[in-house]
Amino acid sequence: MTENKALRIALTKGRLEKDTVGLFEKMGFDVTELHEKGRRLILSVPGQNMEVVLAKAADVITYVELGACDIGVVGKDTILEHGGKYAEIADLGFGRCRFALAGKKGTDFYGGVGVKTVATKYPAVTRRFFESKRMDVDIVKIEGSVELAPLLKIADGIVDIVETGTTLRENGLEVIEDVVPISARLIVNPVSMKLKKERIEELAEKMKAAL
Amino acid sequence: MKRYDLMTPEGTRDLIFDECAALRGISEKLRRIYTSHGYSEVITPGLEFFDVFNNKSRHYPQEVLYKLTDGKGRLMVMRPDSTMPIARIVGTRLRTSPMPLKLFYDQTIYRANPKESGRDDEFFQSGIEIIGGDVMRSDMEALSIAAEVMQSLEADDHRFEIGDSGIFPMLAAKLGLGDAELDELREYVQLKTYPALDEMLSRMENKQYAGYIGRLARMFGGREVLEEAEKTMPDEVMPLIRSVKSVYDTMSELGMGGSVSVDLGIAGKSGDYYTGIVFNGYVAGYGMPVLKGGRYDRLIADFGVDTPATGFAVNENAAAEALLKRSGGMLLPAPDVMIWSDDESVARSIVHCRRLIAEGLTAEYSDLADIGAAREFAKTKGCKRLDIVTASGITTETIK
Repeated sequence: MTENKALRIALTKGRLEKDTVGLFEKMGFDVTELHEKGRRLILSVPGQNMEVVLAKAADVITYVELGACDIGVVGKDTILEHGGKYAEIADLGFGRCRFALAGKKGTDFYGGVGVKTVATKYPAVTRRFFESKRMDVDIVKIEGSVELAPLLKIADGIVDIVETGTTLRENGLEVIEDVVPISARLIVNPVSMKLKKERIEELAEKMKAAL
Repeated sequence: MKRYDLMTPEGTRDLIFDECAALRGISEKLRRIYTSHGYSEVITPGLEFFDVFNNKSRHYPQEVLYKLTDGKGRLMVMRPDSTMPIARIVGTRLRTSPMPLKLFYDQTIYRANPKESGRDDEFFQSGIEIIGGDVMRSDMEALSIAAEVMQSLEADDHRFEIGDSGIFPMLAAKLGLGDAELDELREYVQLKTYPALDEMLSRMENKQYAGYIGRLARMFGGREVLEEAEKTMPDEVMPLIRSVKSVYDTMSELGMGGSVSVDLGIAGKSGDYYTGIVFNGYVAGYGMPVLKGGRYDRLIADFGVDTPATGFAVNENAAAEALLKRSGGMLLPAPDVMIWSDDESVARSIVHCRRLIAEGLTAEYSDLADIGAAREFAKTKGCKRLDIVTASGITTETIK
C-alpha cells in the first residue's frame, strides 16, 4: 500500500534547500546524506521513510503538480509566477523578501498617459499586478540583471525580487511600490494530501514547531 | 516549409499498442458497469456552438476552450465537457421522455491546458448522468456506481472522497464579499492555500464566519471530520453535513468504508455547475482525480427543463496510464499461427487462415514472399508455429 511508501519531498536547490535541511536537523532528522550529497539528486533521510529530491524552483512545482513528489519547498515568488493546482499548507517563514516595482530615482513612474514598459523575470506576476491597477503595460522579459533595463532605457520600471535594496541603490534605482511579500512555502500534491494525510500533516506540524 | 509534419500538437499523443489495449480495456469495463445498471448511451458532437458551454450555471474561461468558427462565422468549440451537451439533449429531444433518465457517454474531451503543463488536452472520458430522480436515491446510486468504477480500476490504492459543494457558498455568503473576492476565497479553500486563506480571513469583519471557513478548509479525513463538523459548524449547514454523513454511512454499509473519506472543504471552481453532494476518486500513482462527479440541479434548467440531476465522469486516459505504470506495460500477444504460401498457393493459404480462425486461433497471414524472411519475422514476433502452404499440401513448423 502507498501508505508505507516513502514520502518524497522536493527542495528548491540553494538557499531554501539549506534552510530546510537546517530545519530537518533541528527536528532531529539524520541529514548526513543531505550534507554529503555529491552530485546525487535523490537522497534519503534514514529512519524517516522519506526521500529528498533536489530541483530548480519551477521544477519543484512541476514535480509536485504531477504527483512525482508528494511535497515541495518552494518560494512564493515561483508559486505566483508559475500558478498550478496544489495545496499550499504552510508559510515556512524563511527565504523572506518581496516583489517590488522599482524605477529610476526621482522619476514619476505613474506620470503621463503613455503606456509604460516594465522589465521583469516574472511576467505573470507583473501582468497581474498591473491588471489589478487596471493599467496596460508592455512587459519585456529579461533573464539576467533586470536593473539594467531602466539604465539602458528599454523600460520605465522593473518588477523584481527585492531583499535589502542594495543592488537597486547602487544602480540609481528605488522602490516605487511593494507588490507582494515572499517567503518559502510548503506545497502538497492534491492526491497525496488525501492519500497520505496523516504523515504530511505530522511533518508540516513538526516543521512549523521547529521554525 | 513544413515544420510540423512529424509531431502531434502539445497535449495530444498517438496511443500505440498496449496503450490502446489499456485504454480500450478500461473503456469496455466501464461500459459494462454502466449498461449492467440499465444506462443507455448517447454520443454528442465533437463540435458544438460556444453558447452551449456558456450559460448561467456554468461557464468555461475562454482560455480552456479550443475554438473555431463555422461557415457563417459563428463561434464553435471542441467539446470541453459531456454533461452540458447532455443537458442540452435533455432540454430538447428528450424533454418529454419518462424520468428519471439514465444516460452514459464515452467520448473525447478537449481542453487547452497551460502550455508545457504535462497534461492531456485531448482525452477519453466516460461517465453517467441520472436526470430527474429523487435526490437522496440518485446520489446514492451515482456514488455506488462510481465506487464500483474505482474498484474496477484495480489500482494499488484508491480513495473515494465525498463532500457537499453547497456548504462553502452558504458560509461565505455571510462575509458580504464581492464576486472577485469570493472567487479568491473559494480558490484558497478549494486548493487549501492555508497561509493566504488565513491572511484573507483575518481581514474579515464577521470573525465568527471567517472562523467557520478557516476550519472548513481543513475538514477532510475520516468519519471523525463529520462528527467534528456537527459540533462546530452553524445550524444552517447542518442538513448538508447530515446528508454527507448519511451517504458516508450508507457507503460503509456497502463495505466501502475503508476507501471513503470526506472533504467538507470542496468549494469548487468559479463557474462550476455543482449544487450538492460532490465526489472525487483518486488512484495511487496519478497526481489528479481520475473520477469527478456531483449533483447539478440548476444546469438543465438553463436548457429549458428544470430538473435535478447528478453524475460523474472518469478520465479513461488517466486510468489507463495508472494501470500501465503499475503493470510496467502489457505484452502484445503474438498470433498462434503464422501462415506462409508460395506464389501459386495464395488462395489456399487464405482459406487455411480462415479455417484456423474459425477454430478459435489467431492466425496471421504472412505478406512476405521469401520463406526465410517469413520464418525470421515469425520468430521476431514471438509466434511459435509457422504453417507453410504449397501445391503439395500444408506443413507445420515449430519456431524456436
